[in-house]
Amino acid sequence: MERPNVKKAKLHLARLRQLVSKKKPPFSGMREEEVITAVRKTREEIWDKKLALRS
Amino acid sequence: MLFVLDSNEYIFAFGVYKKASCEILLDAILDAYPEYSIRIPRMIVEEVGRHLTSEEYREFIEFITSLTNIDEDIFVPFELGAKYEAIGLKTADAFIAAYVEWTGADALVTENRHFLRYRSDLPFKVLTAENCLKIVRRS
Repeated sequence: MERPNVKKAKLHLARLRQLVSKKKPPFSGMREEEVITAVRKTREEIWDKKLALRS
Repeated sequence: MLFVLDSNEYIFAFGVYKKASCEILLDAILDAYPEYSIRIPRMIVEEVGRHLTSEEYREFIEFITSLTNIDEDIFVPFELGAKYEAIGLKTADAFIAAYVEWTGADALVTENRHFLRYRSDLPFKVLTAENCLKIVRRS
């Protein structure tokens, strides 16, 4: 890759956080552990799909 | 020092679900770059993307590719994943562990307790954002 561009990364991170802050939080009302479980579920779904595509 | 940040770290650091330690850690890594740097597999990019809108996802891709390449999952040797499955990690988590080993990263940063439970069996550190922050701040 080209050299890391931290300044550019910070700019996009700030924009991303701004966008995220404007919408209704998708995990609203959930405890941290529930969010982690939901994210893990996403991981398993993606993984299963990848395996199905390869077989 | 090289880190692999798990998908939950990005989700918390972007504010999709707010967790201050994860936000501060990502900022601290950026401030210390390249002394502290990150790698990311396609798998984690896809996981994070599932929790973002298309506009947010575009910013995420711009953000991450400003720092590092996205490694394709297929590069990670299958045998490495099998090794981690054998110690009890679920297949998808085993892939992440294999990826961390394959990159030679010093640590996996995650809030996922399943990884934290296996940390004594892994050849790399498994840190929460809070613990990782202590390391970054010491430098």
